[in-house]
Amino acid sequence: MKSRHIQHLFWRAGFGVTPNQLNDLVKKDKTQVVDELFSKSMQMNELTIDTSEIDHLTTKTITKDKSKQRDFRKISSEKLKEYNVHWINLLVNSEQTLREKMTLFWANHFVCRDQNIFHVQHYNNTLREQSLGHFGDFVKAISKEAAMLKYLNNKQNRKQKPNENFARELMELFTLGEGHYTEKDIKESARAFTGYNNNFEGEFILRRLQHDYDFKTFFGHTGRYDGDDIIDIILEQRQCAHFVCEKIYKYFVNETVDKNRVEELANIFYKDYNIENLMRQIFLSDWFYDEVNIGTKIKSPIEFLVGMRKTVPVTFEKTKDLLKIQKLLGQMLLNPPNVAGWKGGKSWVDSNTIMLRLKLPSIILANAKISIREKGEFEDTFEKYYSSKKKNKFVQVKVDWDTFNKQFESVSINELKAQLIVSKLSRGTETYLETLNQSSKQDFCIQLMSLPEYQMC
Amino acid sequence: MDRRHFLKQSTLASSLFFVPSFVKAFESMSTSNLGYKRLVMIQLSGGNDGLNTIVPFNNDAYYRNRPKIAISKADVLKATDELGFHTSLRPLKKLYDEGHLTIINNVGYPNPNRSHFRATDIWQTASNSNEYLQTGWLGRYLDTYGNKPYNAIEIHDSLSLALKGQQMHGIATTNPAVLFKTSQDPYFKNVLRHYQDEHLSEHNLGYLYKTMIAAESSAKYIFEKHKTASSKQEYPNNAFANQLKTTSKLINSGIETKVFYSSLGGFDTHAGQLNSQARLLKIYAEGIEAFVQDLKQHGTFDDTLIVTFSEFGRRVKQNAANGTDHGTASNLFIIGNQLKTPGFYNDLASLSDLDSNGDLKYTVDFRSIYATILDKWMAVEDQTILNASFPKLNFI
Repeated sequence: MKSRHIQHLFWRAGFGVTPNQLNDLVKKDKTQVVDELFSKSMQMNELTIDTSEIDHLTTKTITKDKSKQRDFRKISSEKLKEYNVHWINLLVNSEQTLREKMTLFWANHFVCRDQNIFHVQHYNNTLREQSLGHFGDFVKAISKEAAMLKYLNNKQNRKQKPNENFARELMELFTLGEGHYTEKDIKESARAFTGYNNNFEGEFILRRLQHDYDFKTFFGHTGRYDGDDIIDIILEQRQCAHFVCEKIYKYFVNETVDKNRVEELANIFYKDYNIENLMRQIFLSDWFYDEVNIGTKIKSPIEFLVGMRKTVPVTFEKTKDLLKIQKLLGQMLLNPPNVAGWKGGKSWVDSNTIMLRLKLPSIILANAKISIREKGEFEDTFEKYYSSKKKNKFVQVKVDWDTFNKQFESVSINELKAQLIVSKLSRGTETYLETLNQSSKQDFCIQLMSLPEYQMC
Repeated sequence: MDRRHFLKQSTLASSLFFVPSFVKAFESMSTSNLGYKRLVMIQLSGGNDGLNTIVPFNNDAYYRNRPKIAISKADVLKATDELGFHTSLRPLKKLYDEGHLTIINNVGYPNPNRSHFRATDIWQTASNSNEYLQTGWLGRYLDTYGNKPYNAIEIHDSLSLALKGQQMHGIATTNPAVLFKTSQDPYFKNVLRHYQDEHLSEHNLGYLYKTMIAAESSAKYIFEKHKTASSKQEYPNNAFANQLKTTSKLINSGIETKVFYSSLGGFDTHAGQLNSQARLLKIYAEGIEAFVQDLKQHGTFDDTLIVTFSEFGRRVKQNAANGTDHGTASNLFIIGNQLKTPGFYNDLASLSDLDSNGDLKYTVDFRSIYATILDKWMAVEDQTILNASFPKLNFI
């Protein structure tokens, strides 16, 4: 398989590829490469952190004790920060590249936010577990997750007083898209989800007295439906397959939709709602590797950050720094802006975030310095610019240049460019790069990462 | 400096000398003196307890519900027979006495949300409580009426949803000098110097370059404006006062910015409310006092409207930890020199006729206030920006 195509595949199905991986993969053909991508992701490793301080708490011990509740909230919110950092580390280091990328995708589809570390952890692992499975099972599992029951107020959805929030978002954001259902569909289906609840441990409970066992009429069917029945009826709508495929196409292929391709995918997906098959179809197709799709997507902040750390390993010494960077870049994991999630694409980038994005590689890797030394130039003119500034550690990190040097030992300067930048270089920038003194691979790496082109994948 | 560069600069400089002085005068007048109206939004984050801010000191229900945390009648800075200011708000009371303050009571919206996160979104996007909008109300203002990111500036290190539109975003900066320095990195300057627009503009990469260019020029513009303004006004030494100081420097520089956004956090007073709220209100009021003074000295107070809100008020009944839990409707402050109804705009809602959670019922929709500001102050079409029509009020 062509190395450019491998890079494209691994940027979309993961967070880029290392030189060693690439050397190994160019010897294989497309089917082999794609097969390997999937087989490595068949295994599922849960993401958990140490919660032993609060593991002993139960509904009984906590319900009546306000001070215990306060302590729990405090510890939980600290643990959530830790979980965020572990998740990002996992994205950098996991062998299950595709599963992790899918998990990230679904986290921005079944958008949810919660303060309880146990419930968040459970939710996150459900996303991971279902990410390549059956879409219907996935939706059913999500509808019974404690974090989701709280987030979209389904806990308050009772026979006596229905709350339509979950039913509405289920159709608008998770399965069908706006305009493909009526207000009556929402009212009727909300009744099917009444009585859904969970205990402190996060297990699903159906409160029988609050559940509406009466007949509901939904998309022309009538029955004593519960939530799972409603989800089955939604899956019967072709629009559901279409809606999901369009979203997947926009995320993994191109934000400009090719209607025929999406229709093609929807026809396949509608048959069995098997997510793995759908993804395999995409990565094996010829059109996925068309030039219009390569290097034309704006990286999300997480793709940008994780990709950079895959090239040059970095350890953040302070949790706070990593959280702050996510916040400033506009994507803090576990903290989506609202139930519609991050919009993605151009909306990642404005006057505020562009400067930070361009500056961040040098901030993390080189104390904010980007060399501008030109060919044949001995004196560092840029040193003058920086020497006027105070020596200032912006973030506390350990940068592992040794691993970078080892990994890129046999990679020439020119190949380095092709390795780090998937997008086509704009002409002026290419000319400028040629004038630079390219004697240090580390310097050149930072220079490349500081270009707008590096923001593309 | 090379010769060509020098020539370029000197022609630019000398051409300025030939601009007749009346034109220059006109230019500066057009922004600061001929009604270049500006809006300063201040969010008290965390949900400020409105009832202990503007205190109903003759209300039995108030004292009954708050045995440990009510502000005693003797401490209240009385404004009317019913309502008075928290002790920390002496500077605000002065503005009230001078006719520079309008207080609108019971501001909220139907089916209120009590999560900080959602409620802040609702206020910042001007949505209904069951509606999720991805653009802020001031962002949509920029979309329709702005042409540069710096038309709306948030004095903070990241940008709130309020200032994010579909096509245009405002710009966020805590310190214009730092923003400028970042944008002047020699490497970026070199990249931009070599950049040629090769029909990339519609594509994502072209968009990145365009944004980079816009950011560089905005940073430069803001920095240069900021540099020109001087101020003799003393401000308290805290982050909030610094935000206001930066805001006033920018306003007084004649910058083409219609909207400024800042915030003061920490109002989530679930426990031990008395001390923490007193401290925060003091920071707020003293900051505002210096700010208004500064604007007055520069003749820009006439054209500046300062609006202070919080994402929700707090429960009428205090909790067991001598604090208050999340509530709903609360008061909102309008400060300016062109107020039609200085003082109290309306009465406080009943403290005995509460909603099922024990919270105040709203009587004024916050979007009516936005609509009024957009229509009467900013002179733009409020319906386009708010996606709906809201009855207007007559405070300006």
